[in-house]
Amino acid sequence: MRAYWCVFRMRRRMELQYRGAALGGFICQLFFGLILIALYRALYAGKPQAVPISHISSYVWLQQAFFRMLLATDPDLADKIRTGSIAYDLCRPLHLYTYYYVRILAQKLVGSLLRAVPMLAVACLLPEGWGLASPAGASALLTSLPALFIGLLCVSALENITMAFTMRTLDPRGMQALLNMLMMVFAGNILPLTLFPDSWQPIITRLPYAQLLDAPIRLYTGDYAASAAPGILLLQSAWTVALAAAGLLFWRVNQKRMVVQGG
Amino acid sequence: MNTIRLYCRSMGLQIRSQLQYPASFLMQTLAQLVMEGGEFMALMLVIDRFDRLNQWMPGDLFFFYGLMSVTFYLTECFGRGITGAFPYMIRTGQLDTLLVRPRGVLIQVFCSAADPRRIACIAVGVASMVLGSIQARIAWSLPKALLLLESIAFGFLLILGLFLIEASLVIWSVKSVELTNTLTYGGRSACDYPIDIYPRPLRILFTVVAPFALVLHVPAAWILGKPLYGWPAWAAFLCPLAGAVSFGLFYALFRRALRHYRSTGS
Repeated sequence: MRAYWCVFRMRRRMELQYRGAALGGFICQLFFGLILIALYRALYAGKPQAVPISHISSYVWLQQAFFRMLLATDPDLADKIRTGSIAYDLCRPLHLYTYYYVRILAQKLVGSLLRAVPMLAVACLLPEGWGLASPAGASALLTSLPALFIGLLCVSALENITMAFTMRTLDPRGMQALLNMLMMVFAGNILPLTLFPDSWQPIITRLPYAQLLDAPIRLYTGDYAASAAPGILLLQSAWTVALAAAGLLFWRVNQKRMVVQGG
Repeated sequence: MNTIRLYCRSMGLQIRSQLQYPASFLMQTLAQLVMEGGEFMALMLVIDRFDRLNQWMPGDLFFFYGLMSVTFYLTECFGRGITGAFPYMIRTGQLDTLLVRPRGVLIQVFCSAADPRRIACIAVGVASMVLGSIQARIAWSLPKALLLLESIAFGFLLILGLFLIEASLVIWSVKSVELTNTLTYGGRSACDYPIDIYPRPLRILFTVVAPFALVLHVPAAWILGKPLYGWPAWAAFLCPLAGAVSFGLFYALFRRALRHYRSTGS
C-alpha cells in the first residue's frame, strides 16, 4: 500500500512541474469555453430549450475545468512497450495494474485540480448566463462532489483499458484516437450531453462515459434531482467496478503474451 | 520555379515515406476520420436540436463548416512543417542544418514534413460542403467557383501565417507556446460557424487580428446568396486578400525572430 502511495506522490510532483504549461493551457481552455458559450447563446436566442442557458454555461465551464481529467494519457507506457523497457516494470515487486492505475489517478487528479481551481474562480465572476451558476442547492453540491470523485475513479479505470489496447499493438495511435473520440463525444466535452436528442438520453446517460463528468455536472446544476442521487452514485460505482475488473482481466491476459521488444 | 519543384518533390518523398507502413498509415487515417467525424456529428446534433442559427439554415451551416475544415486541414497536410514540426526542430537544434543550406529557411521547413493522414479530415470537409451546397440549393457559376478557390487559397495563407506567430515565439522561448492555440485552433473552432453570431469582441478578434471572417465567411456568405452585413460582390472577392496581408505581416515577424535565433544544439 505504501509503495502505491509513493507512486501517487511521485506522479503528483511530476505533474506540478509543468505550471507554465498549465497557465498556457488554462488561458486556452478559458478562451474555448467563452467561444462555446457564445455559440450556445446564439443558438438559444433563436430557439430556447427546456434546459436553461445558465445550466449550459455551467456545464461548459465544469467540462473545461475538469478537461484534464478526461484527457491525460501516460505517454511513458507506449514508449516503454516500443523500446522494451517494460521489462523493468515487470520486475518491480508491484501489481502492474494497480501501479499504472495509481499513476494515472495522480496525474488526472493533480492535473485537473491545477486547472479547475483558477478556472472555476474566473467562471464564477462572469455574469449570469455566461459564467458558472451556483449549485442548485446544498444537497446538489454535496452529491456532486462524491459523484465527481467516483467519476475520477471511473475514468482512471477506463484509461487503463485504453492502455491495455496500447499493449496489444505497437502503434496504438489508431485505437487510442478512436477511444478518445468516443470519450470526448459521450462524456459531453464536445457538446453538452443535455443538448443531445431527447430520444438518446436514456442510452447515453447510462454509458460509462456519462459517469465521468456528465453525472456530477447534472447533479450540480440540478438537472438531476437530489432524490435521484443515490441511484446515480450507484450506477457510477457499478461502472467503475465493472471497468476496473475488465481492465484487470485484460492486463492479466496481456501480461501472459507480452513480448519484450528490442535487445 | 526551382523552389516549387523542390517543394513538390519533397512532398512526394514525404508522402511516399509515410506510405511505407500501409497498415499504420491506414489506421491513423481512420483515426483522423473518426475524430473529424465526431466533430461533424456534434454539428449535426446541434442542427437537429436548434434547426437554425439566426438567418443561417442547416445547409448554410454545413457549407461554412466544410469550408473551414477543408482549408484548415489542407494547411495541416501541406504546411505540416510549420503547423507541427517546427517547435521540435527548435528544441532539438535541427534548425541549424537548415541555416547552412543554400535555400530559404521557410521553404526548407515546408519541405521537411507533410501529413497525408489529413486526407480523411479533408474528405469530411468536402462531404460537408457538398451536403451544404445541395441543401442550400447553391446555383453554382464560374465566379462562385473561382471565389471558393480564392477563399481556400488565401485561407491557407492565413492559417500558415497564424502558425508562423507560434513559430516566432518558439524561437524566443524554445518551449512550444500553447497560448497561440487560441488564434489557430480557437479560430478554427469558433469560425466553423459564421462570424455574425458572436459578440463584438470575438467578431473583432476574428476579423482584424486573425481575419477568418474576411477570408472565409464573407465569400462563403456571398456564394450562399446571403451576403454578410449586406456587403457587395466586389467585397467578397477583395476580402480574402486579407489572408495574404496577414501572412506577409507574420512572415516579417518570423524573419525578425529568426535573426535572434540561438541554437539549442550541443
